[in-house]
Amino acid sequence: MSKELIDAIVDMREEDAVKITAQLLDGGTDPLVVLDACREAMGVIGMRFETGESFISELILAGEILSQISAIVKPRIQKGGAEKKIGKVILGTVQGDIHDIAKDIVGFMLDVNGFEVTNLGVDVPPAKFVEAVKSSGAKIVGLSGFLTLAFDPMKDTVAAIKAAGLNEVKIMIGGGQIDENIRQYTGADAYGKDAMAAVALAKSWS
Amino acid sequence: MNNFSEANQWDYLYTARRRVIACATVIEELLPLLPEDVASETLDFGLHLHPDDLKRALQEKINEASQHADVLLLGYGLCSMAVVGLHTTTAHVVIPRVDDCIAIFLGSCNAYKEQAKKEPGTYYLTKGWIEVGDSPFEEYKRLSEKFGELKAGRIIRLMLKNYTRLGFINTGQYEIERYREYARKTADKFNLRFEEIDGSPALVKKMVFGPWNEEFLVMKPGQTVKYTDFVKP
Repeated sequence: MSKELIDAIVDMREEDAVKITAQLLDGGTDPLVVLDACREAMGVIGMRFETGESFISELILAGEILSQISAIVKPRIQKGGAEKKIGKVILGTVQGDIHDIAKDIVGFMLDVNGFEVTNLGVDVPPAKFVEAVKSSGAKIVGLSGFLTLAFDPMKDTVAAIKAAGLNEVKIMIGGGQIDENIRQYTGADAYGKDAMAAVALAKSWS
Repeated sequence: MNNFSEANQWDYLYTARRRVIACATVIEELLPLLPEDVASETLDFGLHLHPDDLKRALQEKINEASQHADVLLLGYGLCSMAVVGLHTTTAHVVIPRVDDCIAIFLGSCNAYKEQAKKEPGTYYLTKGWIEVGDSPFEEYKRLSEKFGELKAGRIIRLMLKNYTRLGFINTGQYEIERYREYARKTADKFNLRFEEIDGSPALVKKMVFGPWNEEFLVMKPGQTVKYTDFVKP
């Protein structure tokens, strides 16, 4: 049955995915198993996007399906008391960039992997990141940016966090064509190629 | 390549055997300016979605064109880092130091940054993009076939949810009315504010005729493009 869910998500059969999720949960399937299926499906979708088999619009639809499933699954997890947060993450698209499709998928994946995520949205100025880190006590920040225009604001945001004396905070960056060169340029601690990489980084820092 | 002193190097390069390698959208702006002796080659616009493929295609073109020219003029910017890592063995390669073609159409890197700062949520359209079908309208048509109109509309709305403005760049290089109309219709359909932005041929002119000032990266034979070459102090 969880295979059916994976197929439904991967094939973008939105209504089926939601229906199967409800059936699984009503039938007593562990909500975490459902989330695992989501993770697996996203892996496949991410791969297809990477190889050019699917487009950004499919990624958007996948994100939509995930948030609907998440809305059904999360109350059950909380009811079961199974969820114990393993860390706080501040997430946002840096100033001057408004792309958030992949960032929101990262947010979803961090969330279902046990992180408390504060998503600041898009076009977020450095000061807002600093403020959010200070008020939440988060030890992890994720900066997203799709355009190459975003690399300078990313660098400014990393500098602002350091300048605020928040040296224990780990910063990861991601989006578009970010690689080791850009990590070095921005001064971030790490970069991730996809949502699973972001989860692995956040876990390694918690 | 002939030997020449640093002093007359530029004069030599501006008149050397030159060849343009440009994206299908940028070539439109370059062609009206090109002197007869400057040949040009066009690469598929779709490559910009796959920077690794674009990098490979550009490297092949550079290698090939180096056999016929001493100076290669690239009608590209960083283009999602596609130009980073490109290597030239015998030719000089000139690349505008801009993020992407929007800066080329607007005439400078600063003009692009000003627009981006003014309204980051801008979806830009030019004749080139309309011609090659990279617009929300065409995407909507493609999605409608796959998912039906209702769902396609929803996906496009989600895709454009952070966009507030449709910036139609008028570069003055072509018959504008038809494209303006298309851009305006696109804006209406997807609830974006239509705005016509004046383009400028300043950067493409400099690219063809010089001077290759700080707005250009001029790679010498043996050099490889680095990201930091595009960073301005």
